[in-house]
Amino acid sequence: MAKMKFLCDEERCIECNACVTACKNEHEVPWGVNRRRVVTLDDGQPGEKSISVACMHCTDAPCQAVCPVDCFYTTEDGVVLHDKDMCIGCGYCFYACPFGAPQYPQEGAFGSRGKMDKCTFCAGGPEEDHSHEEIEKYGRNRLAEGKLPLCAEMCSTKSLLAGDGDVVSELFRNRVVRRQGRQEAWGWDTAYNVK
Amino acid sequence: MMKYLFIVLLTLSLSACYEDSDVTLHQAGVYKGKLDTHSQTAEQRGAILAKRFGQVQTDR
Repeated sequence: MAKMKFLCDEERCIECNACVTACKNEHEVPWGVNRRRVVTLDDGQPGEKSISVACMHCTDAPCQAVCPVDCFYTTEDGVVLHDKDMCIGCGYCFYACPFGAPQYPQEGAFGSRGKMDKCTFCAGGPEEDHSHEEIEKYGRNRLAEGKLPLCAEMCSTKSLLAGDGDVVSELFRNRVVRRQGRQEAWGWDTAYNVK
Repeated sequence: MMKYLFIVLLTLSLSACYEDSDVTLHQAGVYKGKLDTHSQTAEQRGAILAKRFGQVQTDR
C-alpha cells in the first residue's frame, strides 16, 4: 500500500515560491493562511539553501498525539487529515508540529483562532469527495482525481517531490548517486569561483 | 376551560425541554469524526498515483 510523502531536494530549489502560489490558488486558501512556504537558510550568503515546507504527513504525527478532541486521522494512503467540524482551534497541534504546518484563519470575535487549516496533500477531507462542503472546508481533492499534489506537479526544477515514499526515495537516491557529492548545477563553481 | 388551556400550554412548554441523547463520548486516541470514504480501494489509487508520478515527476 502506498504511503504518500513529500521530499524537497534543497540542491534544486530555486526559491521561486511557485509551489506556495499554486497551493493558495488551487485550494483558494484565505489571506493569512499559508499551507506551504519556502524557507531559505543563510539567505544572501554563498551556498544558501531553500526548501519548501508544509505538513509532512508524519507516520507518527505529533499533532495527532496532542489533539485533545482527536480530530486527526491517517488515511490508507498515509495522509494525515483532520475533521474541521471537530476542531476546537486550541492550537496544541501548532505547538507540537516541528514544521509549523497548522495554520489558523483568526476569524471570529476576540481574536479566536478559528478552525485549524493545513496541507491536505491535495486529498480533501472527510466530507464526500468533490462535494461543495469538501471544497469549501479543505480545498480540492486531487488524489481522488488520480492526480498528485499541485505544488509538486508544477515544480519547475522537480525539487519538490510528492508520491509514494518508496518511489520518491528511489528517485532521490538515484539523484544523489548521479551527483557524486557535487552540486547538481554544473558550472556554478566556475562561474562564481566558489571554492 | 382555563384548566385545559393551562395543561395544553404546560405540555407545549415542556416539549421544548428535549435533551439530545445522541452524544458522542470522547475516548482518548480514538477518532470519532466523519469517515473518509473513497470510490476506489487504496491499491487502485496507489497504482493510479504511481503511474501519474512517472508521467509528471520524472527527472529532467
